[in-house]
Amino acid sequence: MAKDRSQRDEYTTPLRRLLLGIVVLCLLGIFLVWRIDSPRVERFRAQVVDAVVPSLEWAMVPVTATVNLVRDFQSYQRLSEQNRELRSELRRMRAWKEAALQLEQENARLLDLNNVRLDPRLTYITGVVMADSGSPFRQSVLLNVGRRDGIVDGWAAMDGIGLVGRISGVGADTARVILMTDASSAIPASIQPSGQTALIKGDNTAVPLVEFLENRELVRPGDRVITSGDGGVFPAGLLIGQITADPGGRLRVRLSADFERLEFLRVLRYQSAPAIRDSGDIVGPLRPEASLTPDEAADG
Amino acid sequence: MDKAVSHLWAMRCLYVFLVVLVLFLHLLPLNTQPDRWPFPDVLIALTFAWVLRRPEYTPIAIVAVVMLIADLLLQRPPGLLAALVVVATNYLRSAAPGMRDIGFFGEWSSVAAVMTGIFVLNRFILSVLSVQQAAFWPTVVQLILTIAIYPLIVLISQNGMGVRRISAADAGIVGARA
Repeated sequence: MAKDRSQRDEYTTPLRRLLLGIVVLCLLGIFLVWRIDSPRVERFRAQVVDAVVPSLEWAMVPVTATVNLVRDFQSYQRLSEQNRELRSELRRMRAWKEAALQLEQENARLLDLNNVRLDPRLTYITGVVMADSGSPFRQSVLLNVGRRDGIVDGWAAMDGIGLVGRISGVGADTARVILMTDASSAIPASIQPSGQTALIKGDNTAVPLVEFLENRELVRPGDRVITSGDGGVFPAGLLIGQITADPGGRLRVRLSADFERLEFLRVLRYQSAPAIRDSGDIVGPLRPEASLTPDEAADG
Repeated sequence: MDKAVSHLWAMRCLYVFLVVLVLFLHLLPLNTQPDRWPFPDVLIALTFAWVLRRPEYTPIAIVAVVMLIADLLLQRPPGLLAALVVVATNYLRSAAPGMRDIGFFGEWSSVAAVMTGIFVLNRFILSVLSVQQAAFWPTVVQLILTIAIYPLIVLISQNGMGVRRISAADAGIVGARA
């Protein structure tokens, strides 16, 4: 039998080597094509995700719902405690509501006086989160709206309150939102009330970093962070969160959106978002040579 | 003989099913906040455990397709990790007969060495091509967790799914098939 096996190996081994070579070359070829022409391969990836994930949805929805139900059940144990917290919060909110109503009336009067019309272009499409990135090093979610619903790469996604991320990768029925916590996310922001501009850069933690701040002295923990609209990436004035300082003394942003459980997201229609067609060129003067990689340059 | 063939295909289907299950669990949108701890790469551990026990259950083509799909779905650079895993499984396939004699710890350490090799090569190639990469320490933690979870996966595969090394009695059946 040993002889039999060695005879068999004589034929199968070269064949298997050939198969292995072809397979590995194909895979490395895909990788190199992705490196050279990333938008096209990413579009292919979006199509694959578009084909695969919705077909898993029938199973995903009940499982997610069940797990969330169990979690909610666990939170019932703290019910009385939560109730007390909510009551005190509600008292504070009443005061705010009163203030807001007064401001609203005042605002309406002033707008009326000035004959101002609000930007009619900022409408939104609401989508449901279907899946997350599935990798511990990537922060993104998949929405159940896509090209068919008119979603375009680069639009902003918010939950009810704050900015969540931007659309990157659109399939026919799905769109991927790169969250602000992802390491490749960088969003131009302005910090109120000082008006300082900065870049909010994700680093795979729950609280993104504040970078490229001109004057740190003017910024305090608790300041509001909103999008600045620089570079035409996002409309200006979307709420991002509040400044906090980490133990190392670096400034970070506590995000207003509830990242713990993203369920429904609003995608803002924003016409001036530039289309991304090629794998970005280097931004800035041609010489001296910029040390940015194409990815960073494309991110702006 | 037909029974053996249908059993072979059943086990291949089981492998694909397990992979789909793992991907499914990864994609569930349970927690959209960044994780404090990265989770182990179960797919690689599973593939290695099966290749070392029953290479015929995990042919090159299936491993390649499965890993490529995983690359695409899990937002990794497509193709690179898949190619490395395919090469590694081929190495383990050829080393499998020798591993029968060195016991489980020998097998575990060589699997750990191969996984570390994949990790180093992956990072090296990505940095040569200046692709943006995840931070260093979390990926090291992931590698260690993957190595740590390997015995568990071997245990489940052997006792739960009957993926065992071929004993002398089974060898006759497989030989006859070929």
